[in-house]
Amino acid sequence: MSTTPAAAERVVEIAGTTPRPGRRRRPVRRGSVLAQVGAVAWSVLCVVPFVLIVLLAFKSNADIYSKPLSVVGVDWNPANFADAWAGPPGGQGFASFLVNSFVVAVVALVVALAVGSATAYFATIAAPRVGRWVIRAHLVATVMPIIMLLIPYYSGFSALGLLSNPAALGVVYAALCLPTATLILHSFYLGFPPELRDAAAVDGLGPIATYWRIVLPLSRGPIVAVGMINGFFIWGETQVAIVLLQDPESRTIPVGLLGFQGQFSTNTGGIFAGVAIATIPVVVLYLVFHRSISKGIALGGVFR
Amino acid sequence: MADGPVDVRGREATPVSVAAGGRAATGAHGAAGPRQSRGPRSWPVHAALVPACLLLVVFFGLPIVRLLQTSFSSWYGIGDMTWLGTGNYTATLGDEAFWSSLGRSAVLGLGCAVGLTVIATVLAALISAGIRGASVYRVIFFLPAIAPPAAVGVFWALSFQPRTGVVNAVLGRVGLGNTHAWLADPGTALFAVMAVAIWTGVGFAFLVLLGAMEDVPVSVYEAGALDGAGAVRRFFSLTLPLIRPVLSMVVLLEVIWSFNAFTLVWALTTGGPGDATVILPVLVYKEAFQMGNFGPAAAASVLGGVLLLAAAAAGQWLGSRQTEDA
Repeated sequence: MSTTPAAAERVVEIAGTTPRPGRRRRPVRRGSVLAQVGAVAWSVLCVVPFVLIVLLAFKSNADIYSKPLSVVGVDWNPANFADAWAGPPGGQGFASFLVNSFVVAVVALVVALAVGSATAYFATIAAPRVGRWVIRAHLVATVMPIIMLLIPYYSGFSALGLLSNPAALGVVYAALCLPTATLILHSFYLGFPPELRDAAAVDGLGPIATYWRIVLPLSRGPIVAVGMINGFFIWGETQVAIVLLQDPESRTIPVGLLGFQGQFSTNTGGIFAGVAIATIPVVVLYLVFHRSISKGIALGGVFR
Repeated sequence: MADGPVDVRGREATPVSVAAGGRAATGAHGAAGPRQSRGPRSWPVHAALVPACLLLVVFFGLPIVRLLQTSFSSWYGIGDMTWLGTGNYTATLGDEAFWSSLGRSAVLGLGCAVGLTVIATVLAALISAGIRGASVYRVIFFLPAIAPPAAVGVFWALSFQPRTGVVNAVLGRVGLGNTHAWLADPGTALFAVMAVAIWTGVGFAFLVLLGAMEDVPVSVYEAGALDGAGAVRRFFSLTLPLIRPVLSMVVLLEVIWSFNAFTLVWALTTGGPGDATVILPVLVYKEAFQMGNFGPAAAASVLGGVLLLAAAAAGQWLGSRQTEDA
């Protein structure tokens, strides 16, 4: 009968009564076994690299090469993290990358979320023609390839003396995040109950006060989701940062990590510790907030 | 001070519109009713849209003008630009390296888009069918997408090392040999990059496609089952056509992103061995920021960007045309 595991499962689903997935015990079928094999195989591929990153970050250089997969009888070397924190001799480490990434992220998120949410909301109550054009401009910006922006950003930053300035890079990131932020929040505000606005107007609130006192507090959830999606982009962005942050002291986490590859040539443990510091915090954050992140993606969120 | 009259008008306008529209009208034209009455006091609303427009102009509009200017000039990163005319374009179009990097970008873009869309569609179909543990798989499948691309690249670069890397350690355990230098062999380097790009890219496509599949009403499948369509048949004749708009959008986005996958390539190979993985963004980066030839690099990025957008528009047009036919 059925060969596609998904389809086979659907037979079971349709034959059954409850539409909620994965709640009931069902008779084991060939299709569902195949489906489980496929899902488990891809899960292993998804999870194992992260386990390895943590594992290898704690191993000594010799054991990373001689027994990468072992967990017993290994020469554990937590000092890798101290190396990554301090950086290679004469270079910068995560102690400085983290500060720079933090500055960049705070500037970018504050600007992108403040401007994005205001734009998204007021575009829904502006004159229809104006609102449409503003949203259309954001849509155009999302398809703009970053490759076309790099050289102008560099020449502009160079002319203004802003190269190697993390806060200035934060403003660039705010602009790059703005289209995503505005578009996701716009689709949320389109469903915002107009009765609340009308009630606020009856109470004498102007549009700005309505936004500030009524709309913003009610949209905390979507704003957090957007902030998270933008935050992951900012935490990982490399292409613009590698061009605009020229001084080693100004580097953010991903750019600094790429620098490790050349400078840490003999200290693989230190590189893996760096990979772990860059990766594990976002993984933990994702595991805690995965619901709102998935919702944000479904509403149109993208990582560049 | 300036807010005074605006608020007064607002207070007057809204009751008027409610009175005029009445309950039924508010229900029918929910959004349109109150909006019309806002005309006279709409200036703070429109003023609030200005910052976003400024950011878009400064960081997207002006850079394009500046890029075009640079592409017609001779500039070495410092000093003034000197006008050159179309010289950079003729040089770039006659440059073998430009065309081969464009070809690699296209191979990477198409290969990734096709590969990861197929995987993501299958995974999304499994989860939307509600296999046991679906809620856990849903979380796990997006994990690779969350890791910073630079960290992903550095990790896989070390893992692809011959003998010592994890990939070869695993391959050795299962008897497939552990000596292949995946990233150092010009024949396999681009495909190793593609594998990593697919690994990181599936999560996003999976979530979007899953959302589309869950929007398909269950009654559609029930009707299909009643008409005697088998499970496989229902997947191909119901699910796939119904999610096609989303599917074509996902393919399009993935082509664009993989075409531009600078970070992964830079972390994995920095374009090597030789120039086996020099895709267009890597070429532009090297040309401008390592060699200092900003003019030709600008011309190459204009050409690449325009070709990419044209291909995207063509893909979108084809996708929508097919949907109309169906």
